[in-house]
Amino acid sequence: MKTHVMLHPRAEELLVERALRPLSDAEQAELASLGIDADADDSFDVAAAAVMVATTRIEPMPADMFDRLAERTGAVASQPPAPTTPAPVIPIDRARKGRRVSAAWVAAAAAAGIVLATGAGMYLRRDGATPTATPAEARADLLGGGTRALAWTATADATAKGATGDVVWSDAKQRGYMRFVGLAANDPKAWQYQLWIFDRTRDQAFPVDGGVFDVSSTGEVIVPITAKLHVDQATLFAVTVERPGGVVVSKRERIVVTAKPS
Amino acid sequence: MEPLAVQEPLLARIAAGDRAAMRECLTRYSGLVWSIARRFELGDAEDAVQEIFLDLWKSAARYDGNVASESVFIAMIARRRLIDRRRMRGRRPVTESIADEPQVAAAGSSPEASAEASQAARALDRLKPDQRRVLVLSACHGMSHGEIAEATGLPLGTVKAHVRRGLISIRVALLGVQEEPA
Repeated sequence: MKTHVMLHPRAEELLVERALRPLSDAEQAELASLGIDADADDSFDVAAAAVMVATTRIEPMPADMFDRLAERTGAVASQPPAPTTPAPVIPIDRARKGRRVSAAWVAAAAAAGIVLATGAGMYLRRDGATPTATPAEARADLLGGGTRALAWTATADATAKGATGDVVWSDAKQRGYMRFVGLAANDPKAWQYQLWIFDRTRDQAFPVDGGVFDVSSTGEVIVPITAKLHVDQATLFAVTVERPGGVVVSKRERIVVTAKPS
Repeated sequence: MEPLAVQEPLLARIAAGDRAAMRECLTRYSGLVWSIARRFELGDAEDAVQEIFLDLWKSAARYDGNVASESVFIAMIARRRLIDRRRMRGRRPVTESIADEPQVAAAGSSPEASAEASQAARALDRLKPDQRRVLVLSACHGMSHGEIAEATGLPLGTVKAHVRRGLISIRVALLGVQEEPA
């Protein structure tokens, strides 16, 4: 690929447009007349794709869809896809089963600054998180390190009736977890929950997207926070109901719960 | 965003017709492509994902690890297909699937992962909020300048300027060169 570092302003404008939509024949001819071989310079497309990767919350493809995809694309799969990120919601009961290190044990060890090693090779990193920790364990780990839990305040939205829980977020570690009890389960094909984090250092009109998530049980669930941008100083957390996949800017028509440091 | 880990490159193997690499590629990147397609497509994201991977098999030989990581290259292929689908849908509501066999060719590759995505995230963070929002609506949701102007209430000229300056800033950050004053 030939990347043009210094570009004629009009050529630059056309290459930007080309990364966003197909150019007309006249625009392609104009680009060629400016000495640019558009097919040889993908740098604006790469930039747009990098923005896409940087801002996309990666969700595992449903297993049945993966099987169909493998068959139809000539790559018959021998096993279902491995999620590239942890499952967004793990009921606590299920998460606790079979774990070699309990949440309380991890939290206590983290508070004491102890490095653990088990027969399974699980250990604590210097930041206190275990590489294979469940959300419940990682949340306990944050709490054990002194991060406070902020209780949710439910709104009058029907999904939040009787809902309780809290949010644990560390600005320093850029990690956090939401805990809910009694929040209504959602149909991911119809709508999803989305977290917004208000940062004192940012325009309050544009809170940071904290990730889209689903709730499959009205029991206790813990959801990892996946902030799309760096949060310097979180001042308010709010969960809204949005269309599947979430939105870039919420209309805030249905706010479900909020949490604010006292 | 969770960064994708550095892993063995696959596209060169796919370009050479290695079906095991195709399976591995699906396993590794189906979540990324699925998630991208869902941002663009209100309708049949599954059909879009299928088209994207068929495009990818045919485009694998063009992958150059010196230009982009595999994840960004795949996202680029996905965006192009999704933009094309949106354009086609304007004229023809029903899309057709592609059923070509992958092209067999030789290509170079790089084990680099998505370092550019991290660079892009940092560059995005440096943009003004309006500029960042407009760029994401354009680059990640495929909205036209007019649609963005309508959705945000910003003047059309401002939207165009935000998209242009924003994407130039990201490109400059990825190329590692000094940006010229606006």
